[in-house]
Amino acid sequence: MLSKSQARLFYVTATVGFSGVFLLLTADTLRQVPQRSNAAQLTEAVVHGKDLWDENNCMGCHTLLGEGAYYAPELTKVVERRGAQWIKIFLRDPEAMFPGRRRMVRYDLSDEEIDALVAFFTWIGGIDTNGFPAEPDLAPAGAAPITASAVAPDAPEVFGAVCTACHSLGGSGGAVGPALDDVSERYDAASLRRWLADPLKVKPDTTMPNLQLSDADLDALTAFLLADR
Amino acid sequence: MHTLKFESWKVAWAFFATCMLLLALQLVYGFFMAFAHVGLDVLHPWIPFNALRASHTNLLVVWLLAGFMGSAYYIIPDESDRELWSIPLAWLQLGSLVVVAVIALVGFHFNWWEGRKFLEIPRPLDYLVVVNVLAFLLNIGMTVLKGRRYTTTALTLLTGLTAAALLYLPGMIYFTSQVLDSYFRWWVVHLWVEGVWELIMGGILSYLLIKLTGVDREVVEKWLYLIVGLTFLSGILGTGHHYYFIGAPEYWLAIGGIFSASEPLAFLGMALYVVTMARRGGRRHDNRVALFWSVGCGVLSFVGAGVLGFAHTLPSVNLYTHGTLVTAMHGHLAFWGAYAMLVFGMISYALPEMTGRKFFDSWVGEAAFWIANTGMLSMTAAFAVAGVTQVYLERRIGLDFLDVQDAVAVHFWALILASCLFTLGILLFIWDFARHGSPLGMRADSATGVSAPAPQPAK
Repeated sequence: MLSKSQARLFYVTATVGFSGVFLLLTADTLRQVPQRSNAAQLTEAVVHGKDLWDENNCMGCHTLLGEGAYYAPELTKVVERRGAQWIKIFLRDPEAMFPGRRRMVRYDLSDEEIDALVAFFTWIGGIDTNGFPAEPDLAPAGAAPITASAVAPDAPEVFGAVCTACHSLGGSGGAVGPALDDVSERYDAASLRRWLADPLKVKPDTTMPNLQLSDADLDALTAFLLADR
Repeated sequence: MHTLKFESWKVAWAFFATCMLLLALQLVYGFFMAFAHVGLDVLHPWIPFNALRASHTNLLVVWLLAGFMGSAYYIIPDESDRELWSIPLAWLQLGSLVVVAVIALVGFHFNWWEGRKFLEIPRPLDYLVVVNVLAFLLNIGMTVLKGRRYTTTALTLLTGLTAAALLYLPGMIYFTSQVLDSYFRWWVVHLWVEGVWELIMGGILSYLLIKLTGVDREVVEKWLYLIVGLTFLSGILGTGHHYYFIGAPEYWLAIGGIFSASEPLAFLGMALYVVTMARRGGRRHDNRVALFWSVGCGVLSFVGAGVLGFAHTLPSVNLYTHGTLVTAMHGHLAFWGAYAMLVFGMISYALPEMTGRKFFDSWVGEAAFWIANTGMLSMTAAFAVAGVTQVYLERRIGLDFLDVQDAVAVHFWALILASCLFTLGILLFIWDFARHGSPLGMRADSATGVSAPAPQPAK
């Protein structure tokens, strides 16, 4: 059996040896990380976004790169999943997008701060994460995420980026709000445009948020939703 | 026995009392979190989930550190056979630790923090923590030096505490890159709990086993070297299991996988060690409860940190479980088994020695042990079911996050029930602590035999 001094030798050797290997690997990691994380794209906006992420302890509910708390969604690929426009609308009033569901603090971020957060998430999404998060490998065939172009090839970009998160068209899309197949039976152009511009003004108890859409988006959506199909 | 062996033990007792208070508060936050998970987030407008979460985990870290410091203030005088180098400094250190902890905790509720998991304490307070820990290390370091009795147990404890203090520093560096921020954050978090804290654990357990079982010091200390050797052999490069998916190079998948998969060996060693020593020991100490906690610590640290850690540490598994409730399952039993039970063991052993009140045949201590452990194992099971369900529904089938959270909410009701049982056990333990009263010499009825009145803590 081992003597005490042999045991001590084992402890010291293992500790010193593996600490050394760890430091060497760290040096190599530091060499590789800039390229794997597109350090050249670490703009001022991205860093501002990271600081906002830290200052508000977003990790206290969400995970990013899989790290954080398990109360709110994983955000590594959030820009790919939701699109920048959706995120910007969501951050202005998080509860409005998910009425009656789990709540997020409304931080009253400025437009510039929201842009910084989107820049940060975009940068995060470009990191080489060795395949995380994985594609769902047991997803039923044909259950790919709904893209607006698959639903309606002529849809304006904003439709796929924002509307389908809650509404469906032709049977695909979200189920939070009503289906949009029969909009033309319920609205004329003027009333629909007024509704989209500020739903709460038309119907104070609606759960649909004010999406703060641009005039161009309002025109495009009104025309698209009232078109015969 | 009507005198306190060391005046220094009064400080140790005050650290342990602080532990009890902070732990009770940690449980309160835990309940609020569990209720938020089932949709009862009534506190949301005032204390959102991230504040609950930061409070819950930081209270854990502070009460465990207070427990380690209290243990050191108890063990080091005993091993060195002299009083602490400076008892007033120890009181000052306790007072300032409490002040920093309270400021940090209150700050969390006013959005004053750094959003970095486990290291949420804001930077200005980090510096105070460093000063505090340096004062602590100076005190016990000087005590060991002056005592001139360099026992392996004392040195292991001292090395572990010093390394823990040094490893806090990489977590204070500011990085603009989230990848590097995360990389060095794990130097603190991983190398603490799966590295140097195990050194502290080994040191405290050895002391307890020598005292409780009467087993030969030489044998105990040989085992101790072997176990901490195994810990570092696997644990240092095992840090790689946090580097799989954060933007670090691909070789961490292999290195982290192999070395973290062998981390259970160190915990197995620890479990075999305490069980063997407890069985072999010729002398049977009357303090059965302290032995229960010590052996329980060795065994449940193997289950919680070793086995449940292994359950999701391989890269092929972790790709799906990373960032899910599976981590919460592992985290709860690992911290409970390895570190909470360790502090409980130390407190259970030290209390009768410090207060002179030996309630060894009372049912309270044993009931606390069995109820708290049954509760925590049930909590772990609830987290496990919720976590595995989440992994399959969200990560493998691709259902929406919030829909999956609704689906697993029922398991959080199970968690709440299990937590009630756990809390009952903890309350019994705290009651047992309270009825032992303060140490000899701090009470009116036992003032005889103690020369100087105890300095009072600045509160």
